[in-house]
Amino acid sequence: MANVTLTIDGQKVTVPSDYNIIKAAKRAGIDIPALCYDPNLEVVGACRLCLVEIEGWRKPETACSTKVQEGMVVSTETEKLAKLRKEILQLLLDNHPNDCLTCQKAGECLLQQYAYRYDVKFREHDGDRRQGFVDTSSPYILKDDSKCILCGKCVRTCYQVQDRQVLSFGGRGFDTKIVVDADLAFEESSCVSCNRCVTVCPVGALVDKRLLGKTRIWDGEVKGVKCKACDYGCNFEVLSRKGKNIAVRAKAPIEGRPLCLKGRLTTEFVYLDEPETPYKKEATEFKETTWQEALGLEDVFAKMLKNEKE
Amino acid sequence: MVNIKINGMDYQVDDQITVLEACRSVGIDIPTLCNDDRLEPHAACRLCVVEVEGKKSLETSCSLKVWDGMVVETHSPRVMNTRKDILDLLFSNHPDDCLTCDKSGACKLQDYCFEYGVEKGSYIGEKKDYPIDYSNHFYTFDPNKCILCGKCVRVCSELQCTNAIGLEGRGFATKVGTPFDMGLAQSTCVSCGNCVAVCPVGALMPKRKEKVRYWELERVRTTCSYCGVGCQMELLVKGQKVVGVEPANGKANNGLLCVKGRFAYPFINHPDRLKTPLIKKNGKFEEASWEEAYKLIVDKVNGIKEDDGPEAFAGLTSARCTNEENYLFQKLFRAVIGTNNVDHCARL
Repeated sequence: MANVTLTIDGQKVTVPSDYNIIKAAKRAGIDIPALCYDPNLEVVGACRLCLVEIEGWRKPETACSTKVQEGMVVSTETEKLAKLRKEILQLLLDNHPNDCLTCQKAGECLLQQYAYRYDVKFREHDGDRRQGFVDTSSPYILKDDSKCILCGKCVRTCYQVQDRQVLSFGGRGFDTKIVVDADLAFEESSCVSCNRCVTVCPVGALVDKRLLGKTRIWDGEVKGVKCKACDYGCNFEVLSRKGKNIAVRAKAPIEGRPLCLKGRLTTEFVYLDEPETPYKKEATEFKETTWQEALGLEDVFAKMLKNEKE
Repeated sequence: MVNIKINGMDYQVDDQITVLEACRSVGIDIPTLCNDDRLEPHAACRLCVVEVEGKKSLETSCSLKVWDGMVVETHSPRVMNTRKDILDLLFSNHPDDCLTCDKSGACKLQDYCFEYGVEKGSYIGEKKDYPIDYSNHFYTFDPNKCILCGKCVRVCSELQCTNAIGLEGRGFATKVGTPFDMGLAQSTCVSCGNCVAVCPVGALMPKRKEKVRYWELERVRTTCSYCGVGCQMELLVKGQKVVGVEPANGKANNGLLCVKGRFAYPFINHPDRLKTPLIKKNGKFEEASWEEAYKLIVDKVNGIKEDDGPEAFAGLTSARCTNEENYLFQKLFRAVIGTNNVDHCARL
């Protein structure tokens, strides 16, 4: 791939010509804010936060969907851009609950991070707010529509899983929301609780329900581990607090790493001091199950018991 | 020692301690906003209430001494509901801005609201509305975020002994203030920042050039380099930059710092700061390695000692060195160079 050289915020950067501006900026150590961009997902340019100014171009362009060009001169933090970003963030906050006080995502939330960076606060208004439907039907994923900012990352990551494509956009305009299959609850849907969607959600709209209320991200420690359930070796994180391992969560999948419920439960079982009861989906309901069944170890157990008897 | 029963378990604890200390000593975590081991119990926040058998009302565990045969419940439904109510009342009169509050991530009110499931303040009514005091060079005071735990007032009076601030007014109008409401800059405040260090919420905050959130920071424990006392502190580091200092509880400083240790840290990041020794070559200082510098010193010392004897030397150290460094310096002069010409700037 041919290389191109461009200037970002006065810095010369040389990158392959298929790079987008956001990726090139990252190479130069410049962090362009973006809620919907993920290097592993298709670019959609939905959140509009990554707008940058390019010399000679008529209007600001989204850095995620604009490819680099030779000699391009890009500015990522101008007064005009700050104003635009503030407005975008303000609109998002206007339709978002003010509950960072107790939100599970606080500390890792991108909306919070950018609101802080651009000094945007919640404001009183008498306009409509998104209906706060909370799907509590799954023991693994909590989906809170009131917090969703419609970046669509969950939809795109779910789309990458063969035979799944559970999540999609439903409705139009202000009523747009993320729906599970044909607007079903998680327990009725074809979702397999791999939690890919949870790992990419930039806000608190999709959270790991087994983490809920256990710790705040600044309160404990997070240690990365490799899953031992199969050869892929997906990345998980073990969260600990006060010297106790209290929860396991999936880390965003990378190339060729699928993530799955079995892997997460195996990691829970291996690392946690007090693993919670596992659940298994039967038809349209999550049912409590045993660890042998959840991890598919019944045969192994039976063999071990048999050997012991002999 | 006395025997007490906490949450159905029997324990033996020291008879001079409070219920709060007893619970902590056996690993039971009781929430408190106004308690500090170094300060007199104040029983202001009421969060540490517990149920004591034989007592009609709930008791604040921070101010209640243990007695033999005491039976305590620390997390009964009645206690939990009371704590929830207290947090609810506190947050009802608190700005709802964890989104951008600089204290977020290190705020005890936020932590306890999370722990006790208080999602918002449910009491609707008047809220505090005071101007923010920006007058001090090093920190700001936002009375609207103050929960009146009184820690700042007590640390200023009991430990720092400056008495610059006090609680003024009564009832809902109570606030932490300075004499005659003249503002912090006009008060006797010495800007030690110990009030800032104990504030459990975002009311007293250090002024910073950088925008940082607590969860982005790494803490590095170190010893203050300003004088020989050896105060323990934590440097707050974001990336490669020191963005703040907080006191650590060392033997020498008891969790306190002075204005220099607490706020005069930005020199660490100064571009002109010397990071290697400099040796003058051809009339110009040039960066050198430590080996080169030591060799130069040794060569010169040996040369002068041979030509003019050890009495040609005199050494003066700084009060900013530690005791150990000063000891080693005089040892170097007396034992290695062979002169008693050694002194220290603190004698001047």
